[in-house]
Amino acid sequence: MSNAIELSGISKIYHKGSQQVIVHQDFNMKIASGEFIALMGPSGLGKSTLLHLMGGLDRATHGTITIAGERIDSLSESRLSQWRAQNIGFIFQSHHLLPVLTAAANVELPLALTSLNKKQRQQHVAATLALVNMSERAGHLPKELSGGQEQRIAIARALVSDPKILLCDEPTGNLDRKTADEILSLLAQLNKDFGKTIVMVTHDLKAADYATRVINLEHLIADNRAKEPQA
Amino acid sequence: MISLTLIWKNSLRKKMRFTLTLLSVLVAFFLFTTLAGIDHALTASIDNSNRFRLMTSHKISLTRSMPVNYGQKIAQLPGVEKVAYATWFGGFFQNEQHQLAVTAVSAENYFSLFPEFQIDNKSLKDWQNNRIGLVVGQTIADKYQWQVGDRIPLKSSIWMNKQGSFTWDFVLEAIYQGREEATDTGKVFFHHEYFDRARAYSRNTAGWFSTQVSPLANVDRVSQDIDQLFANDVEATRTTTEQVFVKEQAQQFVDMAKIIKWVLAAVFFTLMLIVCNTMILALRERLNEIAMMKALGFSSFELSEQIFIESLFLLALGAMAGTLLAKACLVQVKGSLAEFLPGIGIQPEHYLIVVLLVVCCAVFCSLAPAYSIKKLIISDTLGARA
Repeated sequence: MSNAIELSGISKIYHKGSQQVIVHQDFNMKIASGEFIALMGPSGLGKSTLLHLMGGLDRATHGTITIAGERIDSLSESRLSQWRAQNIGFIFQSHHLLPVLTAAANVELPLALTSLNKKQRQQHVAATLALVNMSERAGHLPKELSGGQEQRIAIARALVSDPKILLCDEPTGNLDRKTADEILSLLAQLNKDFGKTIVMVTHDLKAADYATRVINLEHLIADNRAKEPQA
Repeated sequence: MISLTLIWKNSLRKKMRFTLTLLSVLVAFFLFTTLAGIDHALTASIDNSNRFRLMTSHKISLTRSMPVNYGQKIAQLPGVEKVAYATWFGGFFQNEQHQLAVTAVSAENYFSLFPEFQIDNKSLKDWQNNRIGLVVGQTIADKYQWQVGDRIPLKSSIWMNKQGSFTWDFVLEAIYQGREEATDTGKVFFHHEYFDRARAYSRNTAGWFSTQVSPLANVDRVSQDIDQLFANDVEATRTTTEQVFVKEQAQQFVDMAKIIKWVLAAVFFTLMLIVCNTMILALRERLNEIAMMKALGFSSFELSEQIFIESLFLLALGAMAGTLLAKACLVQVKGSLAEFLPGIGIQPEHYLIVVLLVVCCAVFCSLAPAYSIKKLIISDTLGARA
């Protein structure tokens, strides 16, 4: 199976005043196409940072990032925006829906970057809303929806442009158990039925049950260090 | 391209803030277009004046008279085509609330020097043949509902007649039209000859001379020749082109316009700060949404474009309302100010300036938000590091 995501020799260093904060150093990771990964580990280890690097939301200090065969670490900002629009769907802990737009209009937003006409966009939106069981709420504003419904709309927004990869940062962190299970089942279904590669950062052990592979970042970092050549 | 629906809904998200900012834009553009309309009236009379007409007045003051025979002497100078003379009457109708620009003029040739005041030949002849005849502009005739043949008593604040009265009797013989829209149709003229014979003092004098210079002659040279001719007389003269004369007379108003323009510049600067602040606030409130849209693949340029269109929408709406209000106000005051500011009104070029101002302000107000959008780090805004 080919690699959907490959991080090689990644370092990420932040500067806080005169201090350097090293989040990752010479980090390597491979994720195959069609995997549903649960990325776990203690807080502060850099799980979300990895997710942002994979999605081109942030840039690595060193190393190469290859997503679906394309090196994204060397892309310009505008090219990276285009690439994100075509290849990546993001689902965050907070849905970040635009409050002034209806559920359908929120889902339609990424399609504004495509060449689809209005009718085609509406067809895509209707199909995606049906997929997340939110067709009946299409005309509602976010404030008229429950937390679980808002997250479903956020998932629909991430799916509408049919990206190959879904990056989820604690997608059920704000939800009760029952709603969280519904959302996780939906993600598992997207992975199984549509072959989406999913990387999900989570602290929830039950959430990890839905994944096809669990990566404990603490163990992975230790493995990486063990493989480093001794000086 | 971000949908106009989103831009529209974002603009109206804080309705009170939108309304207050819109009102400040409206006031600024109302002031701008009103002033532009008045400024046009002030400068139009200068632009319309004839550069081949000279004005000769007393060297010491415009209020002092000169011998009327100066006109014959000026007419004999090389390059001079015609000479007319006039004296300021300073009249009013019924009471001093109804001030009029009344001038006694040389009836035989005055209107041939001033073709911008158009009178049909028959009316002109009738006026020339009636010693106490009066010519008024259409604006004055309309204002007082005067018709040809009406007997009109006018009072002077300067000149007493031989009967010891300041009231002079006239008969309206002609109504003149303006050749152009900006031509002053608020003037009143009567015979200098009648005035000279009937006034109680200062006979055989004139307030100023208007000289038509041949287009082939050197205007400056003729001007110098006139003043040279009377340099050693008791009543020495000062001759300028009509454009310079009108400009000097209008100087006090033009300077006032300059002061108002500076005040207006300050108003616009403040306006830009207000709109700029509004857009920065709007951006700050929507930072998470902007970051999310960037994550979805919208470029910094597309998101800055959204802010620009929002600014443009706000400014254009305010400017349109302010300009329409100014137009309505100027139409209302045009009737009452027409005798003093005949060209008052918004001109096509003013609309173009309004459009340019709107676009420039929108660009300026979008610069700071665009910079913030460009510098925005998605991962910092949407989620914590690590």
